[in-house]
Amino acid sequence: MEYLASDKIAIVDLSTGDITEDELDEDLVLDKIGGAGITKHLYDQHVSAHPTENGPIVLGTGLLTGTLVPGASLGILTAKSPSTGKVSHMPLNLDAGMELKYSGFDYIVIKGSADKPVYLWIHDGILDINDAGDLWGKDTWAATDHIRSEMGDDLIQVLSIGQAGENGSDLAQIGINYWQSADRFGFGRLCGEKNLKLIAIRGMGLLEISEPEAFMEDCAELIAAIRSNTTTPNQGIAAVSAALGEEDLGDWLGPLTHRHMACFNTPVATNTFIFTDEDPALLKETIVTEPGFLLTDIFPLVALKKAGLSAKDAGLVLKACAKYGIDGAAVAELSAKSGLTRPEEIEKTLPDLKGPVESTGKSIFSPWAAVGQDINANWERRQAVAYVLGLHPIWFQITTELTEEKLLDLAGLGSEMEFTQETLDEVIEDILA
Amino acid sequence: MRIFWLKISEIKSQIRSNRASQQQIKMASRRQETEFRIPKIGIYTGKGASHSWLWFVEVFERLGFYDLSFLTEADLVKDSLEKVDVLAISGGDTFAIAEALGPQGAKRLKTFITRGGLYLGSCAGAYLPLNSSKEHLNHFNFVAAKITNLTKTLPEAHGMKEKSCTCYGCSFIFHAVREAVEVATSGLPPFGKSATFTAPLYGGPPMTVANPASVMATYTAFTDKTLFLVDQKLAENTLLGNAAVIRGKMGHGHLHLYGPHFEHPHFREANLFLADAMMRDLPNQTAPAANPEDGMNILSGSLKQRFIRDFKRELSNSRIVAAGLEMLPLKWTIGNKVYETGKIRVFLEALWQRIRSFEKERLILVRAGQDDLLVQRALHVTKSIRQIKKALDQKTGAQKADTLKTATLLFSLLNKTSALFLEIYFRSKFFQFGKIEYEGSYGQIKKMVA
Repeated sequence: MEYLASDKIAIVDLSTGDITEDELDEDLVLDKIGGAGITKHLYDQHVSAHPTENGPIVLGTGLLTGTLVPGASLGILTAKSPSTGKVSHMPLNLDAGMELKYSGFDYIVIKGSADKPVYLWIHDGILDINDAGDLWGKDTWAATDHIRSEMGDDLIQVLSIGQAGENGSDLAQIGINYWQSADRFGFGRLCGEKNLKLIAIRGMGLLEISEPEAFMEDCAELIAAIRSNTTTPNQGIAAVSAALGEEDLGDWLGPLTHRHMACFNTPVATNTFIFTDEDPALLKETIVTEPGFLLTDIFPLVALKKAGLSAKDAGLVLKACAKYGIDGAAVAELSAKSGLTRPEEIEKTLPDLKGPVESTGKSIFSPWAAVGQDINANWERRQAVAYVLGLHPIWFQITTELTEEKLLDLAGLGSEMEFTQETLDEVIEDILA
Repeated sequence: MRIFWLKISEIKSQIRSNRASQQQIKMASRRQETEFRIPKIGIYTGKGASHSWLWFVEVFERLGFYDLSFLTEADLVKDSLEKVDVLAISGGDTFAIAEALGPQGAKRLKTFITRGGLYLGSCAGAYLPLNSSKEHLNHFNFVAAKITNLTKTLPEAHGMKEKSCTCYGCSFIFHAVREAVEVATSGLPPFGKSATFTAPLYGGPPMTVANPASVMATYTAFTDKTLFLVDQKLAENTLLGNAAVIRGKMGHGHLHLYGPHFEHPHFREANLFLADAMMRDLPNQTAPAANPEDGMNILSGSLKQRFIRDFKRELSNSRIVAAGLEMLPLKWTIGNKVYETGKIRVFLEALWQRIRSFEKERLILVRAGQDDLLVQRALHVTKSIRQIKKALDQKTGAQKADTLKTATLLFSLLNKTSALFLEIYFRSKFFQFGKIEYEGSYGQIKKMVA
């Protein structure tokens, strides 16, 4: 596969420490396009070949991830959910999808279980299994700090588990860097079972585009159209929540808002940084190392608001969840049932929290908000397209400019291959089956 | 000049199609029959050399001149110059180079040139053989040219103060401009018709000589890319009309001294001029061919893969940290040269861009232990860069360690690591490139490690 790919699939066996590499077959791309289409295929292929083994975790990126297509930020983690028993897909957002795309691997199959804690270091076509003895027991923030300091780079994207995953909690979540992810499937527990503390990713590779000028022109046109569309939502998690049909959190979060942050090349910032540990009205340079928290997940935020927490307390609860590596939505739901509203009280309960919870993913795609919780054909179709092509799933849900036809054209321009609507339909049917 | 370049292209084309001998090719031009051969080129990478020797490497590789060796001051003092036709010294710290080579190195260099060798000096390498009474430099009084950027009164610097001058005894060498300047070639025999193009100037000399016939190119104008470090009028007086490139003769050999970096790979026409001139003044007698079998191990299959993977891993680790360091406003003065953090990656990228082609080589030729040594050096490079990053990450001034010592070691290590990698890379490439030539002995290599 010459374009839009590194042409490499890695198969990592944590049980033996063996790493093998395959080329990315063009026929596979023609057949499954990419993203969840191929991660699901690789998952099924491995399970068929080794039916007695525990299922693997498959990492991958969409065909357009890391390109100039607006919102092309998505990486995908596919595995069987310990909570639902379904093969499901977790979004790798912020810069994780982009770094994975440029890491020299298109897909990574992680099978087996290590006999002692390990972490994966994926960089420039090299995949290392390293000892994680020093990291086991650390929360996700300390683990992320440790890896970034050891490797000497703050741009490394870290998918890690905290104590929740290490201790086998059903509600354990894989975090992305310091923040909560939309893992609503208990994948954190799966990593804990594999003794896989974290996956660190940094890519300084290059992507070849088959027809770069035409591709760039089309992307520029799309960006111009998005900018001129007056219905495109404002920046920030509150505005995006409203655009999705959820509660407008603007008034609640507004006084604490520090800045908004977009995922790679995504026109609307879906994340918002709020002050939790410092007075937002302070008019001098901060002396606090970390004065707040980045809100990345709409679902628990809305749930905590509904439970009567202040925005600051909600931020503190989610920060504790992120550090411990537990799903904030589940914590919000269980805390509400227990009538707990004080952050320090909720934090104390984290080690003993157990499911099942209503907020667990019912679809095979992460519900980033309650509106995506109920299985809905239109929502699932849009999510499936995003997970195949590598587009930010929330952004893709609220934009009208990115049509399937346009995206298939761009995929063809970039890859020198032809993708038809029928192929996309078949891939989606296969994923949703 | 372009006509001559076509000839070089034809040589490459013939070699690639295996219709011509690697070592010697007879070509019939329209006017005369000219004999060409692939030159054996030594590139100085020792003390005082900055990163710009990598530019020579890139230009020579583009030309298909794979018979390259990478020489330190210790190599030059020994007998390494006897094995090359050309010695190229690029930019860096002239004083440090002169001191490192010492009188013994100067003597070797003189012998090399007088016996017919060609010396290519660019920037610091151009200052080195000019007449001077200063300690260390006084061993290299090979060319009677004067530099026009020498002053007793230092002009006011308009920018980049740290790069605008160097002390020279009681005087100063000042650098009037940086970046691209326009030069015109003289068109004097044997270098064909005159041409005008641009080349980058990073501290190299403007010169005057008594014999106009020895001027190969002059500075003619500035460009919109030219950065003035002193008053523009002074810059004009210092540079325009003065020699940018001169050709000296010593015994049977020649010296080509370039003020601007004609070897900079972004300046194609300057590269062609440099290659053209070099081919004209190659020694009549070629240096003796090295025996490719001497103490050589061949890595193939899984051994080759492991070696490349181990090296690539560390190179990648280094690149990742170095890319982060580039965002910091940090620079070090090492000797008389200023090094920005970005220079670290110039070395690393020069290696990285060759990794893919290296992976595709069927065989890798290494001397015993060179593979392990290269990986070890790459590990040390990563460790040093991470050490600098960690020191800079410390929160208080007291904790922030002085990184100069580590940086000094790092740049020395980067030079050594790059030179070692490129030695293996070009040896392997040249060996397989010229396998027809070596076909007879190919099967006789004893130390197969596969």
